[in-house]
Amino acid sequence: MFGEGLLTGMGVTWKHFWGKKETFCYPEEKLPMTERFRGGHLMFDHTKCVACTLCSLACPNQAIKLKIVPDAMKKRHIESYVHLVGRCLYCNLCIEACNFHALSWDKNYAISTWHKEEMDDELVTAEGKEFFNEMMEKAKAEAEAKAKAEADKQKNEGGDA
Amino acid sequence: MEIWNTIMEQGVLATASEILRWFFMLVFASELIVDIIMKGIGIGAILGVISVAAIVFTYAERKVCAFMQVRIGPNRVGGRYGLLQSIADMLKLMSKEDIIPEGCDRVVWALAPMLLFVPSALIYAFFPFDKGAAFADVNVGVFLMLAISSQAVLPFLMSGYASNSKYAFIGGIRTVAQMLSYEAPMVFSLLGVVMLSGSMRMCDIVEAQSQQLWFILMQPIAFVVFVISATAETNRTPFDLVEDESEIVAGPFAEYSGMRWALFFLAEYANLLSVSILFLPGVVWFGLKVLAMVFVFMWFRWTFPRTRIDQMLAFSWKVLLPLALANVLFTGVGIYARQWM
Amino acid sequence: MPQTETYTLSMGPQHPSTHGVLQVRLDLDGETILKATPYMGYLHRGIEKLLESRTYVQGVPYTDRLDYVSSMNNNLGYCRAVEELAQIEVPERAEYIRVIVAELNRIASHLVFIGSLAIDLGASTGMLYAFRDREKVLDLFDLVCGARMTFHYIRVGGVSADLPPEFAAKCDEFLKVLPEFMQEYEDILTGNEIFQYRLKGTSRMTKEQALSHNMTGPNIRAVGIPFDIRKVDGYGVYPKLAFDVPVGENGDNWDRYRVRYLEIYESAKLVRQALDGLPEGDFMAKFPKALRPPKGEVYSRTEGTRGELGFYIVSDGGPKPYRVHIRRPSFINLQGLDDMCRGMLIGDSVAAFSAIDPLMGEVDC
Repeated sequence: MFGEGLLTGMGVTWKHFWGKKETFCYPEEKLPMTERFRGGHLMFDHTKCVACTLCSLACPNQAIKLKIVPDAMKKRHIESYVHLVGRCLYCNLCIEACNFHALSWDKNYAISTWHKEEMDDELVTAEGKEFFNEMMEKAKAEAEAKAKAEADKQKNEGGDA
Repeated sequence: MEIWNTIMEQGVLATASEILRWFFMLVFASELIVDIIMKGIGIGAILGVISVAAIVFTYAERKVCAFMQVRIGPNRVGGRYGLLQSIADMLKLMSKEDIIPEGCDRVVWALAPMLLFVPSALIYAFFPFDKGAAFADVNVGVFLMLAISSQAVLPFLMSGYASNSKYAFIGGIRTVAQMLSYEAPMVFSLLGVVMLSGSMRMCDIVEAQSQQLWFILMQPIAFVVFVISATAETNRTPFDLVEDESEIVAGPFAEYSGMRWALFFLAEYANLLSVSILFLPGVVWFGLKVLAMVFVFMWFRWTFPRTRIDQMLAFSWKVLLPLALANVLFTGVGIYARQWM
Repeated sequence: MPQTETYTLSMGPQHPSTHGVLQVRLDLDGETILKATPYMGYLHRGIEKLLESRTYVQGVPYTDRLDYVSSMNNNLGYCRAVEELAQIEVPERAEYIRVIVAELNRIASHLVFIGSLAIDLGASTGMLYAFRDREKVLDLFDLVCGARMTFHYIRVGGVSADLPPEFAAKCDEFLKVLPEFMQEYEDILTGNEIFQYRLKGTSRMTKEQALSHNMTGPNIRAVGIPFDIRKVDGYGVYPKLAFDVPVGENGDNWDRYRVRYLEIYESAKLVRQALDGLPEGDFMAKFPKALRPPKGEVYSRTEGTRGELGFYIVSDGGPKPYRVHIRRPSFINLQGLDDMCRGMLIGDSVAAFSAIDPLMGEVDC
């Protein structure tokens, strides 16, 4: 009554007027992200992936578009791994689904883009493409060698007969 | 040394105007022309004071608000402390599109912000900025000032009526109710001061304070009543029911944009400055006192919630007005007792 | 003879104080409200339908988006419903962790309530303080699950990960500073005469009215009915923990504010007890990855921050729910708005929305 509460309130603001401020000046000061932080783009390790598509199946919003190519040895490889950032819920289910820990977050939260099209993020890097081509070549060579060996074997068998 | 003494005696502003007058007399050698020029300079100076005050106060308000809310406020434009923030704001407002709402009463709508600025600026004519440095030292200064400041009701009502928006309309009607009810206690709180100094001339009131105690000490009740009603007159929290962004969006300003809105803003800060000047005129400490008062108004704004319209009106008529009247009575008794002793 | 007529003021969906995109049409006689009609649906995203086209496990992140300031409680509600349907036994440690995060989230949500009530009454500084303190809770959640808003931490069968080792110390620290913050709100808001005048005696509701609108949560406790599902149903490990249910007396806005204010203390008490009694063990139950609950239906209710949060799920034995219906407390509480506003002034209507504390994400679902 009679303004005691008003004065107490003014005391609080007066205290804070001189007190410590909570603001962080964002682009200059950046707070570290926590260990479990989910955000930014997905990071994909092409050497670990076995192209099982579990991540894509686990995604509730179909935000992962995969292009999987079987090589000459009938083994499957990832040619393209597109993360549709605009559809992503950041629910972590894809990362948890991967049994080989091929996926992780890069924790770079500043991912705004000018255009919607730029939001689709291709995770297979140039290195990954090279790796993919290498694996395809290797498998092709292997298959050819195998086919050759088979043919030789047949020939030999034929010769024997 | 002699000049120094004259300055101290006459006041800085008065001396400056003397020198200017002397200079113009040398050039033009005609009383009439020099008078006109001097008046022009005076008007320019007052407008300059108002615009500078608006710029400084917007910056101050943002900083005070931020500090009280544990933030640091503007810190980008103009160095670490954001000193040029209000300039940037002004440029932004000027470059904004001028949106005219459909179905509004064009003439009244366009006139309202300009007319609002007139009484706010006109009040300054009667202010004793320094010894003998009032633009128009009228013998009914206080009375004229109150009469002019009460004209600010009309432009609010005009803009509320002409905007063709219900929010603005409610805001306009609230303005009338609010300003009319707070005018009364304000006038009565000033009456005590007038009784003590025995004059309505602003310069005499200032003089009286330098001879006796400050009126803020002699008339504490009047001061409190005045501060509260001034908060209401300038539409600031806790009595900012006219703009009231959480209920009626921005009241009469809701449909204005760009420079038109900036004029409302300018008038608001001009009013803030004038009510801060009013009770604490002095000589040397003038600036400091004004800033202290402005800070108090900002402090109120960033601490208190908003009242409700019925509570606000009831507070004015049932609490402030009786208090102000009682103050008038006590002042009268006091003066009488003093004469008797 | 001057004539007066009533007029309609449309508040929202673009309005500073409608908590999102609520539209309220006020029939006014001067400043007095004759009738207030809420119009909803501006934020409808079809979450119930989305849940029906996802598997049970995939549905959990969508419940984050219902009531986005208390996602943990929504996760909890949905997961409990699915667990009941599929008869999954949740490990005790997971239940305790759930209590910790759900109650912390209740604190965060009530802080948002205090903040938004403050700004709706014009005290913007009070809002900044409440949001500053909410950040402290969000920091804890960031540590636990890596998100600040859409947590997706409570999963079907348990929680997604164990509490990080540094959590206990940080949570302890937060619980220690919480009373200081609360004292600050007490000073700047509760004790403030203007704040009291604005809330006391406004939007008063009787027990019968509140019951007839089927209000739940703090809104029903404010009228004096101690209905708290944590006590009534005693789900999870709540029966093992001691806490009180604060109730109001008059059913006005002041009581709605007070009840939530006191509930923050109760939630802090619960967090403290759960932290102390946290047993060792698994944080996730074992169940087949491709979850196919048996045919049947379930209605499971939990005490969300805004009231009774119920999930009704029908299973046809497949991997996806056949039908999901969500009983959203905000939606149902909002039905009382008309009764709360009638005869009040425009200023009170804003206080009334705030006091109901609806969240449009949940209202429109």
